[in-house]
Amino acid sequence: MAMPLLSLIVFTPAVGATALMFVRNDDVVRWTALGVTALDFALCIAMLGGFDTSTHEMQFTETHQWVPALGITYALGIDGISAPFVFLTALLGWICVLASWVAIDRKVKEFMVSLLAMQALMLGVFCALDLFLFYVFWEAMLIPMYVIIGVWGGDGRVYAAFKFFLYTLAGSLMFLIGVIVLYFHGGETFDIRTLMAQHLPFQVQSWLFFAFLIAFAVKVPMVPVHTWLPDAHVQAPTAGSIILAAVLLKMGAYGFLRFSLPMLPEATVHYSTLMLVLSAVAIVYGGLLALAQDDLKKLVAYSSISHMGLVTLGIFTLNLRGLEGGILQMFNHGVTTGALFLSVGLIYERTHTRSIADYGGLMKAAPVYTAFLALFALSSMALPGTSSFVGELLVLSGAFAANLAVGAAAVLGALLGAAYLLGMYRKVALGPASIGVRFKIRDVNAREMAAILPLAVFVVWIGLYPKPFLEIIDASVKHLLAQVHGKGDAQ
Amino acid sequence: MTAAVLFQSILASLPEIVVITGACILLILGQLVPKGQEHFLVWASVAVVLMAASGTLMLAGEVRSAYSGMFIADRFAVFFKVVFYLATVLTFLLSQRYAEIEGIGRSEYYVLLLLALSGMMIMASATDLLSIYVGLELMVLCTYVLTGFLRQQQRSNEAALKYVILGGVSTGIFLYGVSLVYGLTGTTQLDKMATAVTGNPLDPGLLLAVVFIVAGLVFKVGAVPFHMWVPDVYEGAPTTITAFMSVGPKAAGFAVILRVFLNPLVAASNVWVIVAVIAAVTMALGSFVALVQDNFKRLLAYSSIAHAGFAMFGVAAGGADGVASVMLYLLIYAFMNLGIFGIVIMMRNGDFSGEVIEHYAGFAKSHSGLALLMLLYLFSLAGIPPTAGFFAKFYVLVALVERGFVMLAVIAVLLSAVAAYFYIRIVMVIYMREPEGAFVPALTPSVGATLALTAAGTIGIGLFPAWFLRLAQHAAIGG
Repeated sequence: MAMPLLSLIVFTPAVGATALMFVRNDDVVRWTALGVTALDFALCIAMLGGFDTSTHEMQFTETHQWVPALGITYALGIDGISAPFVFLTALLGWICVLASWVAIDRKVKEFMVSLLAMQALMLGVFCALDLFLFYVFWEAMLIPMYVIIGVWGGDGRVYAAFKFFLYTLAGSLMFLIGVIVLYFHGGETFDIRTLMAQHLPFQVQSWLFFAFLIAFAVKVPMVPVHTWLPDAHVQAPTAGSIILAAVLLKMGAYGFLRFSLPMLPEATVHYSTLMLVLSAVAIVYGGLLALAQDDLKKLVAYSSISHMGLVTLGIFTLNLRGLEGGILQMFNHGVTTGALFLSVGLIYERTHTRSIADYGGLMKAAPVYTAFLALFALSSMALPGTSSFVGELLVLSGAFAANLAVGAAAVLGALLGAAYLLGMYRKVALGPASIGVRFKIRDVNAREMAAILPLAVFVVWIGLYPKPFLEIIDASVKHLLAQVHGKGDAQ
Repeated sequence: MTAAVLFQSILASLPEIVVITGACILLILGQLVPKGQEHFLVWASVAVVLMAASGTLMLAGEVRSAYSGMFIADRFAVFFKVVFYLATVLTFLLSQRYAEIEGIGRSEYYVLLLLALSGMMIMASATDLLSIYVGLELMVLCTYVLTGFLRQQQRSNEAALKYVILGGVSTGIFLYGVSLVYGLTGTTQLDKMATAVTGNPLDPGLLLAVVFIVAGLVFKVGAVPFHMWVPDVYEGAPTTITAFMSVGPKAAGFAVILRVFLNPLVAASNVWVIVAVIAAVTMALGSFVALVQDNFKRLLAYSSIAHAGFAMFGVAAGGADGVASVMLYLLIYAFMNLGIFGIVIMMRNGDFSGEVIEHYAGFAKSHSGLALLMLLYLFSLAGIPPTAGFFAKFYVLVALVERGFVMLAVIAVLLSAVAAYFYIRIVMVIYMREPEGAFVPALTPSVGATLALTAAGTIGIGLFPAWFLRLAQHAAIGG
């Protein structure tokens, strides 16, 4: 192993964060943060360039002893399931820096340090091949995220930050117990690959399934443990909302894919109906709540609950189309919802209101901005030609194969999505130009364009030509399915 | 006793002898130190501790039993003594400026701390209920006086009085238990007790004796139901002494608890059920009551009760990993707790008491570096990775699950989620509020050194726990 590429990717932002602590000038801080995240993105592109799509094995692996007495190793590696999310996280890194360029005007240094620390930890979560290491990254994220929401958030930030912290902590701690139990049942090792090869008794699998479910369900979030999300999203600064929606929520679903499915296959199959029902409830309930929102950020937040329900639905159909659709939809949701939060953030910077009722006729004042908004809203409701269409179609076909009623609920969710997103667009962009007159809104400038354009490119690209993305995940998903259905090694 | 045996005994207890001799010399020297030169006493005291520490480390190679089996110098004792040295030296460093501000920098202050240290060292090495008693009394008598050292302040006096009375009662209970053990087994030596009992280990008389001894020891670590003294004493005592008591004497109490509870006789009497209940109730009480505290010292008092509860879970788990987990927990707790106390002590300057949590509002704005350190200590106390506090808790949980106590582990983590709330509430106050006044922390080089060392320990053990873990595991087996 010549170069520890994954370690570089994970720790570049961490080194950047440390270096930033000693910088005084705000502009230097911004440019350094941008440089670090751009470098990280470049490394990530290099990693994808060398990624072998034909195998389900972990690639770019690194293993070092960490705490030998307890069998803890420092092990990194990626496969087709984690690679898209490493890429997504690296992509959103510099977009978040751009999004906070002027929005964050006080304590800039502290903000960028938190953002970069967050970036490193999120990348670590997706790369970790050791459960202990995974848990350390997973839990340590609470610190910067708590600070980001609590210091730079809106008026209700303190409440939102507490709620986010305690919900996630309580969920994670049950996961920790599960991890330790798994450690003793799986031969005193935290190595994910070894643990995947173990066969646990069904009783143990069931307990662990629910211990893991608590942690992952809070992160996804699934109904009924979703209530932290609207608060956190609404109060967080734009970059915080983007990170939350695009990456943090994915971690719950990633946890199911990485741990619950391969390590607890029998319990997963046994409880899959329960999970399907919970997902369907989230889809419809989230959609209905989104329909009733007047706050732009809240609307997108509740739509996230609905869309993440679709993701977990896809995962627990436990068939190839559902799983691939679910994973693709995770990526799409990251791009689309990240972009929607970015759009809301851009307009909020100009008007300082998020109430839909205050807007109207934005199309005349800011045509380019409105065009982007339309694209992302259409993508979010899965119009053909946009990225979410591909993912949603796959999930729906998988869902109907698994369970007719649940499939019907998912379709209902898609209809609701069209209703609230089109309604939002109509009220904000069309109609009399009340808001443009009041605020003299300027259109997107070059910096904002640089942040928003790449996301738009991905929306259209995956929408028209999803093959390269599906190729990356294909081998790993097939292997995962084989693990779940107990057919042994697919190769 | 032949000369050779005597020499062996002296060698085994050399560090204790160094500390006690040093304390006596300082007591005399202290009268000769001119006014304004008190910092000499700090450095002399630190030198005494460092001499004792080097003695301990040099003699750590082999196990030495001394004084006819009443005293042992083994790796278990060495580990605890290192924790004591750490706590004491850092307390001296923190005291330098604080003692000046409060006007308590007399030689007695340092001498009493050294004597308390020697008491703790004897406790860690004691293998006989009577030598345990001697060490215990030496330690608590010194802390009684130190608690009341702020003679002008009513609450300091009140705290000392409460501490003496309750402490006296608990010592009486402990001694009563010892006398019962002696009556039933004819010995007070820990390893001879087990062989002396030929009948049923669940003999009611013996059980009663064990309960009395447990009660006496539990008082010292501040666990429920003998915790009532902790908040008042912690609040009333000089903050440096509070910091010292929350780390040193607590660790000494756990050293004795581990020695006594892991004794085969006591282990056979199902005492772990009592310990588990005490642990759960202690942690619950500490965590929930801390939620409503406005005074920083009181909050830290309840936090220390909660931490004692968590460490108790390790005792309940038992086994080599259980013992090692308690030891590692106490070492890590020493770093993070002295760190956060270091900040509170530093804030005591001029009219500013540094005791009200609300007074820290907006601290991050004016002193971002110190606020970051506070953030580190607080998240470590809450047990969030990658800090050492997480690894401490993690290892206790591993020990619990290893022994099959999954339910206890679940209780422990749920309560630590509650505890996390009041730590991050302080983070909220320092980061998310606007400052109301200016802060002038008494940041001297020695306080700075303390903060640097504790921060290094808090983050260092968190990132690289392997070496410390091995140390604790070896020491646990050696005991």
